[in-house]
Amino acid sequence: MRGFGWGRSLRHVRLQWVLAVSAIAAAVALPVVLISVGGGVSAHELADLQNAGYQIVVSAGGSHGISGAHALAQRIARIGSVTVASPILSVAIDAFNSTSPTAPVSPVLAEGVVPGQFTPTLGPTESGLFPSPLPLGDPTDLVHYDNGTYRGPATYDVLVSTPLAAAKGIRVGQQIVLSPSTNRSLGVAYNVTGSFGVPPSILGPTGAFAVLLPLSDLQVMTGYGPANASSVFDAADTIEVAVAGPVSDNPSALTHVRDEIQSLVPLYGVTSLLQEAQQLESASAVLTGFYLALSSVGLSVGLIFLALVLLRRVETDRRSIAVRRALGLPARTIAAGILTEGAVIAALGALVGTLAGYVVVESLARWATSTVQEAASLAVWEPFTLGAIVAGVVGLSALAGGVATRAALRVEITEALR
Amino acid sequence: MNDGVRPPLIELSRASRTYGARTADEVRALRDVDLAIQPGEFLSVEGPSGCGKTTLLNLLGLLDSPTSGEVRWDHRPVGSLSDRDRSRLRLTGVGFIFQRFYLLPTLTARENVELPMRPLRVPRTERLRRASGLLAEVGLEGRERAFPHQLSGGEEQRVAVARALANRPGVLLADEPTGELDTGNTRAILDLLVRVRADRDATLILVTHNPEVSNRARRHLTMRDGAVVRDVGET
Repeated sequence: MRGFGWGRSLRHVRLQWVLAVSAIAAAVALPVVLISVGGGVSAHELADLQNAGYQIVVSAGGSHGISGAHALAQRIARIGSVTVASPILSVAIDAFNSTSPTAPVSPVLAEGVVPGQFTPTLGPTESGLFPSPLPLGDPTDLVHYDNGTYRGPATYDVLVSTPLAAAKGIRVGQQIVLSPSTNRSLGVAYNVTGSFGVPPSILGPTGAFAVLLPLSDLQVMTGYGPANASSVFDAADTIEVAVAGPVSDNPSALTHVRDEIQSLVPLYGVTSLLQEAQQLESASAVLTGFYLALSSVGLSVGLIFLALVLLRRVETDRRSIAVRRALGLPARTIAAGILTEGAVIAALGALVGTLAGYVVVESLARWATSTVQEAASLAVWEPFTLGAIVAGVVGLSALAGGVATRAALRVEITEALR
Repeated sequence: MNDGVRPPLIELSRASRTYGARTADEVRALRDVDLAIQPGEFLSVEGPSGCGKTTLLNLLGLLDSPTSGEVRWDHRPVGSLSDRDRSRLRLTGVGFIFQRFYLLPTLTARENVELPMRPLRVPRTERLRRASGLLAEVGLEGRERAFPHQLSGGEEQRVAVARALANRPGVLLADEPTGELDTGNTRAILDLLVRVRADRDATLILVTHNPEVSNRARRHLTMRDGAVVRDVGET
């Protein structure tokens, strides 16, 4: 086995080596791809959470489930340590070109915000994508809201996303008609006062067609605003809450603020992003474990194949092993040779598999369809994780080597030399 | 010892070896053999095929263990030795020469000779020097880099002799060392064995069918049906 002449002896088992290395490479490539891409997407989402300009989210079950959003945001903002509370309503609406009645309709995602409260909740990445202050008229949105009567004057200002503006030829200063349905006659003309960029996301291009307008405007347009005289509708999907710097970095203080908000809105969900990040991290860890468990099937096949190759090698080298034993070479020398050969095959397979995984992910990032491409481009290559996979495979190869070593040491010298 | 007789190097006491014991295929290869071999003896073991010669050699060379009875090396029962200690004893105390040479085909002549020295951690330069010296001694100077398939049968057996001498053993065991050689090579190998034995004062135990070979020994053991039926010559 190992020792001088080892390289020469490989000539006779080249094909077996190639097959064994390939089997292990295939088994290793799968977890490398899954863990790198999965880890990358998780890390990206985690970074999004950590870079957000808000730390607590109030949400309700179902769509547009928060009522009394304007008033509730003001009450939350009065809690100590809270710097701003920004209600947000997201509704799919339709946009029309105001100058061309026959132009096709564009479905867009409309976000209704309170301009002065929305901007402080933007993280460092997002804040660069929006004009500041937002050119949407009244920064408080209270003039049009008018204590829930919605009788105040609306500004009818809107910001359009740059992809939408580019695709539909919309320019600042122009008007577009926004309607809750494809019926243009239900629409209202809005002044385009600016545009905003769309942060990189894995949602695909449809998520990039968006408009931003005052919350009360969107509520009125879509019917999620004024209720009847006896109740308050004033809907939103979420209220994003930013807290003062020292609190945002202090988990227990953040939990305290979260609890205070929860006591204000016992029927809504109140989550701190720190919690979400922790949940995401634990979910990511579970996923990684799942990927490894899934990969262990392939890895088992690879290692069984390795054991078979080593056993076959022992069988073909039976006489050679017997001669070495007869000459007095210690069992540990024979064992070391087999274990080393197994480890070399496993290490080669693991390295080739890692490289193959890298090539697959890079190819997907370059040539796959949009969502897969975007996920692949987020892949992270952590040397420690990849090193652990390679080391794990090499370590497990000791099992395959152990099986072959046992067979080698059980070779009857006298029988093999007969 | 007081009477001037040297103590035996290897002793067999009622040594038996049975294969497939208590089965339908049971074969009693060796039956109650008593034997004492002195240091420096030149002993031939003769007998028809299947009489137990190779089994006897395997027991003497610690490649096998008796089913019953005892083998002692330097008064030490080898049955009590661990596998590791037996390997060590084979490595340092015994040189094997096989009928089919059994050189490792992926090693050169010199590497084959070096092989037994490696576990003893002989420094590389010393290994090379000793291996080249041994190959020169057996008449293979300049053939160090040849692989077994590039050597004739006689040359292969010379390499095997050099390999057997690598760790300067006290005992050389040769199992039909000329069985696959022509007359010329038989004579040459035999001369070589006799010479190296004399030079090193080694014990040489040689299994053979060939009367020409056995005639060179000083003590002759004849076996039949697993038993030593004749033991003549100097001890």
